[in-house]
Amino acid sequence: MTWTLALPELVLAIAGLVILVAGVLPKQETFFPVSMACIGSLLLAAVLVLGQPEGTALGGHYVADDFSGFMKLLAIGGAAIGILLSLDYNTKEGLGRFEFPLLMLLATIGMMVMISANDLLSLYLGLELLSLPLYVIAAFNRDSARSAEAGLKYFVLGALASGLLLYGSSLVYGFAGTTNFDRLADAFSADSGVTAGVVVGIVFVIAGLAFKVSAVPFHMWTPDVYEGAPTPVTAFFAAAPKVAAIALLARVLVGPFGDLAGQWQQVITLVSLGSMTLGGFAAIGQRNIKRLMAYSSIGHVGYALMGLAVANDVGLRGLLVYMAIYVAMNLGTFAVLIAMRRKGRAVEQVEDLAGLGRTDLGTAVWMAVFMFSMAGIPPLAGFFGKLYVFLAAVQAGFWTLAVVGVLTSVVSAYYYLRIVKVMFFDAPAGALDPAPASLTVVMAASGLFTLFFVLWPAPLLAAAQAAAAALLG
Amino acid sequence: MIAALAFYLFAAILIASAVMVVTARNPVHSVLFLILAFFNAAALFLIAGAEFLAMILVIVYVGAVAVLFLFVVMMLDIDFARLREGFQRYAPIGAIIGGILFLELLLVLSGWSFADQADDLRLSPNPGASVTNAAALGRILYTDYVYLFQLAGLILLVAMIGAIVLTHRERAGTKRQDIAVQVARSGSVVLEEVPVGAGIKALGIRRPPEPEAEPPKVTHDAHHGGHH
Amino acid sequence: MDGFLSTPIGILAITIAQTLALLVPVLIAVAYLTLAERKVLAAMQLRKGPNVVGPFGLLQPFADALKMLMKETIVPSGANRFLFILAPMLLFMLAMLAWAVIPVNDGWAIADINVGVLYLFAISSLGVYGIIIAGWASNSKYAFLGALRSAAQMVSYEVSMGFVIVTVLLCVGSLNLSEVVRAQQNVWFFIPLFPMFVIFFISILAETNRAPFDLPEGESELVAGFFVEYSSMTFALFFLGEYANMILMSALTTILFLGGWLPPVAVEPFTWIPGPIWFALKICLCLFVFIWVRATFPRYRYDQLMRLGWKVFLPFSLVWLVITAAVLKLTGWLPA
Repeated sequence: MTWTLALPELVLAIAGLVILVAGVLPKQETFFPVSMACIGSLLLAAVLVLGQPEGTALGGHYVADDFSGFMKLLAIGGAAIGILLSLDYNTKEGLGRFEFPLLMLLATIGMMVMISANDLLSLYLGLELLSLPLYVIAAFNRDSARSAEAGLKYFVLGALASGLLLYGSSLVYGFAGTTNFDRLADAFSADSGVTAGVVVGIVFVIAGLAFKVSAVPFHMWTPDVYEGAPTPVTAFFAAAPKVAAIALLARVLVGPFGDLAGQWQQVITLVSLGSMTLGGFAAIGQRNIKRLMAYSSIGHVGYALMGLAVANDVGLRGLLVYMAIYVAMNLGTFAVLIAMRRKGRAVEQVEDLAGLGRTDLGTAVWMAVFMFSMAGIPPLAGFFGKLYVFLAAVQAGFWTLAVVGVLTSVVSAYYYLRIVKVMFFDAPAGALDPAPASLTVVMAASGLFTLFFVLWPAPLLAAAQAAAAALLG
Repeated sequence: MIAALAFYLFAAILIASAVMVVTARNPVHSVLFLILAFFNAAALFLIAGAEFLAMILVIVYVGAVAVLFLFVVMMLDIDFARLREGFQRYAPIGAIIGGILFLELLLVLSGWSFADQADDLRLSPNPGASVTNAAALGRILYTDYVYLFQLAGLILLVAMIGAIVLTHRERAGTKRQDIAVQVARSGSVVLEEVPVGAGIKALGIRRPPEPEAEPPKVTHDAHHGGHH
Repeated sequence: MDGFLSTPIGILAITIAQTLALLVPVLIAVAYLTLAERKVLAAMQLRKGPNVVGPFGLLQPFADALKMLMKETIVPSGANRFLFILAPMLLFMLAMLAWAVIPVNDGWAIADINVGVLYLFAISSLGVYGIIIAGWASNSKYAFLGALRSAAQMVSYEVSMGFVIVTVLLCVGSLNLSEVVRAQQNVWFFIPLFPMFVIFFISILAETNRAPFDLPEGESELVAGFFVEYSSMTFALFFLGEYANMILMSALTTILFLGGWLPPVAVEPFTWIPGPIWFALKICLCLFVFIWVRATFPRYRYDQLMRLGWKVFLPFSLVWLVITAAVLKLTGWLPA
């Protein structure tokens, strides 16, 4: 038996069950200890991922390689910091129930399953295991109509996306007679070619996954869900699940459908173009900063997918580096947003940040770092993320993508810089409450990463290079 | 011949009842037609030789899921006339979308071909006459597919947690039975022998306990006395 | 003659004959179960019970049936006529349908199918529809409340019943009811699986809506529950359906735990008695306990009922299932 290969998932799942029982038994609320236990088990899983050998296991449904290791570490890190971010917010908003971190933990198992999927079936089950907890935590603030709406909207559209994905998978299965990725790759590399039906199937699969990464034209749920869900949940949504879904998309397209790259490259190119454009322009008019971040995340997915559209090792390396940097700066930004409270009440308008430079210089400086980085101003990390994908696109001759990417970066710089302007040059709207320690730590950590990535980019690049090679090899 | 006849009979009823699920005016009738559809699907499974699936379909979907469905539909006061308000207006758009999808499907299926080794790769649902359905399913479900099986279990667990998180509320002021407390009380509660004819007052039990200072109620007393 | 019997029509004729041979005794048993219940209850309450119609009141069931038939079927205004009439028929029909797979003796089942246990479980879980439909179609709040209670109760107890059945199946290694009985050749399952036997018996009390779990018909608060609006033959069908279900569930208990048609010990005087007689005797024993329980216990409160089902029986049967599986695996008794 080779089940030991899936040790990180197994350990995490068992830890989740143990924590569930331990959390439900005591009479009083166990939010804090359960959160800590969840973070602890995520760290343990991360260590296990680091020590994971390569190979396929469990009837060929599970694969572990450099790519899965890289993406899993990102997803686990995003999830652990997501739980950390929720500690203070949930307690203050009366959402401090132990199921919250537990659902995040279970969603993380789903992400890891997705990332390690080597079969259409494990892909689908991982996706559902990720999605279901997300629907629930989106509606976690059940007394708020907006939160309930966010959960419901996400659920209905998510179910539709799952349906599309399954339909596409069934077409692919009908053609090849198998759902295993390796066998699928064999079937598609045969000379007999593929029929229109399989291409339609692949397009359906891409549509289902594009929904999860909130890429245009399957982005409609994003602003409403990001706005309605409790802010730590939004932070979580914008980080970990996106990594997992992008990883899945990359693995499916490059792995089994690798020989059909000509078919799906145009789809991904279109999706990327659409996402970049929409992310650039639609965010301009937003007053609610969570909505703004929603459009911003759509735009970032567009840039990341540019790397996938190129579909060679440079492009994939760009994609991986982009996702790592995106997760880091996004978590930092959301740490600032979660810290936005005035007189104990959470505020989420752009104007509420007015004059932050004068009332709370530390937070304002970190926020400015993140905004500059997201806009792609050198020498911050965000610049390098964009640099690598643009580079790949230009080298491979995808000029349209590169040009549109640069133009939309300029457009999106407008709204990122507007936030900086509001913070430092507008009249103060009243001081915000001081940020709790857990948030300051996250802000500082991701801020330092964003600032000093330029000095020491080699490890990340090397890891991304190895991961991309594993995926293509 | 009989099997073919049965197949067409069940398939026809299945499709007809599926259509009725969508078109029935009364939501309760819709659910009942859904149940009929499940039944006929189970019958089709039986004809295909998948008796285990057929029974599980009836037990799980008809016996449990549809019951809850019926519950909800009966409890909710759904105004179907209002739900159908836009039907006329949206029908053409729906028809166009449906038509396009249908044409696409035709395109896809007309040019359909299979990969070279597709037939060899497909798993045979029934390994042979000597192994029953349930055993055959169990053999692959707990070996080749154990990973997926456990994942499905985890998904169901998440669904359960989610349902509890989103709906369970601790209401203030509800009285709960604590059986442990009740049982522990048995030593302090004793049966007393009451002399025939004595009221509980004679035993020194006052229920409800006497108020500490009784306000004088002169007029009331007078009235009371005359009442009997 | 042989040729005729193997034609489709011949097979049909044989099946019909078999069905009649099984259902007629069952129906007579249902009729006399109503009398038996009244007699047993009367004895337990130091009364005489029905003793006017025929010797010892033996013709009482027929008198009752005749009376029911003579009355008018009243369909309340506002009721859904079709469903209103359908519900009692459904309930009664299901109670009869289930007998198709019951083996009364070695090889004596109308349909000896591989998934007999699941078939029985499926049929018994459908019974809830008769009740829900009756409650809803009556267009009366008492009936509807009774139906809701009953449906929730039946669905709840099916869960633990399912686990009990799975435990038995683990010890048998087959879903075939005849196999279940044959596996009890050495020891009846109620001995090694005694706690499951108790849970199963209590669950079938709840499943058939019998005392002390007869809340759906709670006379005191719901008048008579889901069949409050029914009269004459439609009412009689509910009544007969309930008793037929009791017999069916007793038969199931007998097969799963009491060794079906097998004699208690396979030695001379016991083996003279044919299997069907043993089967019937065991069913009678179960039915007596049904009535005994009714005479003894007061009715449960609704929250207690739900608590018992979900918080006691479900975890307990789950744990016992795991223990049974572990014991079978460790001792190597697991059937192939």
